[in-house]
Amino acid sequence: MNIKYCQWTFRLSVALLGTLLAVPVLSAPRTPIDDASVIERLPFRASDSRSRALADLRANVLKAPEDTSASVALAQAYFDLALARGDPRYVGYADAIVTRFGTRMDAELLMVRGMLRQYRHDFAAALADFAAVLMLDPDRAGAHAWRGAIYLVEAQYANAREECAALLRLQRPVLHGGCAGLAQAYTGQLAGAYATLQQALALTYADDQRLWLLTRLGEVAAWQGQSAKAERHYREALALGQDDGYLLAAWADFLLDNRRPTEVVKLLASWEASDGLLLRLAEAEAALQLPAASAHIQALDDRFAAAKLRGDTTHRAEEARFQLRLRKNPAQAVELAAANYMVQKEPRDLRILLESALAAGDGKAAQAARDWLQRTGFEDARLRALAAQTLQLPTSTNKSGGTP
Amino acid sequence: MMRRLALLVVLLFCQAGAWAHKASDSYLVVDAKGATIAAQWDIALRDIDFALGLDHDGNAEVTWGELRARQSDLSAWALSRLEIERGGACLLKVSSLQVDDHTDGGYAVLNITGECPEAAGDLALQYRLLFDLDNLHRGLLRLTLDGATHTTVLSPTSGKVQFSAEQVSRWAQFKQYLMEGIWHIWIGFDHILFLLSLLLPAVLVVRMRHWQGVERFGVALREVLWVVTSFTAAHSITLSLAALGLVSLPSRLVESAIALSVVLAAANNLWPVVEHRRWLVAFGFGLIHGFGFASVLAELGLPADALALSLLGFNAGVEVGQMAIVAAFFPVAFLLRNTRFYLRGVFVLGSWLTMLVALVWLIERAFDLKLISA
Repeated sequence: MNIKYCQWTFRLSVALLGTLLAVPVLSAPRTPIDDASVIERLPFRASDSRSRALADLRANVLKAPEDTSASVALAQAYFDLALARGDPRYVGYADAIVTRFGTRMDAELLMVRGMLRQYRHDFAAALADFAAVLMLDPDRAGAHAWRGAIYLVEAQYANAREECAALLRLQRPVLHGGCAGLAQAYTGQLAGAYATLQQALALTYADDQRLWLLTRLGEVAAWQGQSAKAERHYREALALGQDDGYLLAAWADFLLDNRRPTEVVKLLASWEASDGLLLRLAEAEAALQLPAASAHIQALDDRFAAAKLRGDTTHRAEEARFQLRLRKNPAQAVELAAANYMVQKEPRDLRILLESALAAGDGKAAQAARDWLQRTGFEDARLRALAAQTLQLPTSTNKSGGTP
Repeated sequence: MMRRLALLVVLLFCQAGAWAHKASDSYLVVDAKGATIAAQWDIALRDIDFALGLDHDGNAEVTWGELRARQSDLSAWALSRLEIERGGACLLKVSSLQVDDHTDGGYAVLNITGECPEAAGDLALQYRLLFDLDNLHRGLLRLTLDGATHTTVLSPTSGKVQFSAEQVSRWAQFKQYLMEGIWHIWIGFDHILFLLSLLLPAVLVVRMRHWQGVERFGVALREVLWVVTSFTAAHSITLSLAALGLVSLPSRLVESAIALSVVLAAANNLWPVVEHRRWLVAFGFGLIHGFGFASVLAELGLPADALALSLLGFNAGVEVGQMAIVAAFFPVAFLLRNTRFYLRGVFVLGSWLTMLVALVWLIERAFDLKLISA
């Protein structure tokens, strides 16, 4: 080996050096050179009708800071926006407005505070707020509807049915139909649930109500295994042309379950900002082995990490799904799904618990889910099949297996 | 109103909670060392826009120019919502404004400096950014108080926090500087490359203008020990002199000289000038590298009450880190010394690569450019 360099070593080292120079730089504070460079995009233009409406509401509050109705209107507008756009900042804005009143709460303010508390999954406090509203105003249908909704999430069906009955007593047939229909669906009466929801649908022409009822009809039909019917309902709901995160998520889940990921990619391309929808988009991209999947999985990882940093635990069901399906980490998924199940017990919470318990070989977690199925008689064939599979698992805590 | 509210209830309930961007957070990193405060505060541009209004032309895009135009308002607003006390209120000011990206979008980065009335004792921090506007806002605080790091989440109900300055034990202090020393050699690629350039030929010997493996392990080991020991001795001398403030050199000169030392050490492998007394090279350039370590130590700051101990700890740390590299490198190199892989791949190619990288460093440092680490 001659001490004089060989040409190839020189070339190779130049090439390696080039690679070294091309390594991307990690994010770090920077000083832009150009004043015109865009450093953030805001959700609305100042001239947007929604911005103007909010500005008016804000001006009303500034004019009369002690006027509860002005504050309630602004807080409600923020809350609506949070749900339409999937952006929790607006929940924080609404919360700050309500908090300003301290203990001087009237029924309107308590309603808003209850909604905000349930948004943060503080269900006990939310139930208390709605109960306080009903003390002040026993005919407040909204308070009953919210209490019913929370009881359904907590799988307290007897309590939920009481609230549904109150809605009927107050002659709110559409609200009652939504409430009672879901209570039926979750307790093993899918056919009855479908009929109840459809009756409610026939009673209303309001787009927002129709959208919600059609979405739930789609879900019930899918649980019944009637894909064509489910698809028709989802498409009717989409045709109403309203932004709705829940509808998009339910429709995307339906498409994923029916192995139609291409449509999900098209549907959710511009919804990356919402964590729940980004999760579905990434799942579809992973199924199609698209290169975009890895960047989206990384983004989700970062967002869950950021939520953890601030002590936020409201996303555990989705994080479990992320860990199971995209990170292939069933052990962590089952832990998250079980923690989520302590708080929320709807069919989708149950499903991720069963799926991750099965993948992780965790018989104890599966047992809790099977108990729910047995107690409620929920009819979804997919869940029943999953539950049957978990019967093979040992019931002692055994988290060593990983089967997928 | 009432009716609409009720209608929305069932409609909305299922979306609640689950579909979220991130709620608002700010990232506050505070380093309090004695009476001096250095902090970096990352605040989301969306939050600043909500509080102060940034989008001057109303096109829903915030530009760097629009942010810069509001720099003094922004500084006044932010600093009116942060108080740090150590023996009384510390005087804070924003020294520079930058931007960064987090998972949920663009952030303004406020670089903050401050002076406190006292250099010792407890430190209190009160935070209330955005709490009047956004009740879900949180401040994610990482505070280093005289070297001890604390993290906490600041919320409307826990906006005020108190940190006690623990009397750090001598041993803990020594250990901390030891770790810093190890850490610095591990991330100090220039020092590692210099050392490796000198060690690569330690298992070789020149015979008739050709490199080949040495015959005995002892010969190679003696060579390695000479090189490492003289490098250590040399950088310990200058590190101590500089840390004690007895000698000081401009950092650009030191950094350039370090890069040059790597270039020369690698070049010497390709076109040998110094073949035997490499320990002399190690000693000579080791003096320069010592000044490089000293600048790190200056950033860390040496506690006045345990100067010698900390200095010793840092030196020992550098030494431990170095020995770890040698222990990993040397046995493998000895085993492979006669293979084509070592002679061509590791030795020749490695030296070329080292030399080129160091050349880039040299140019960067000498002319104050950014080529690799831009």
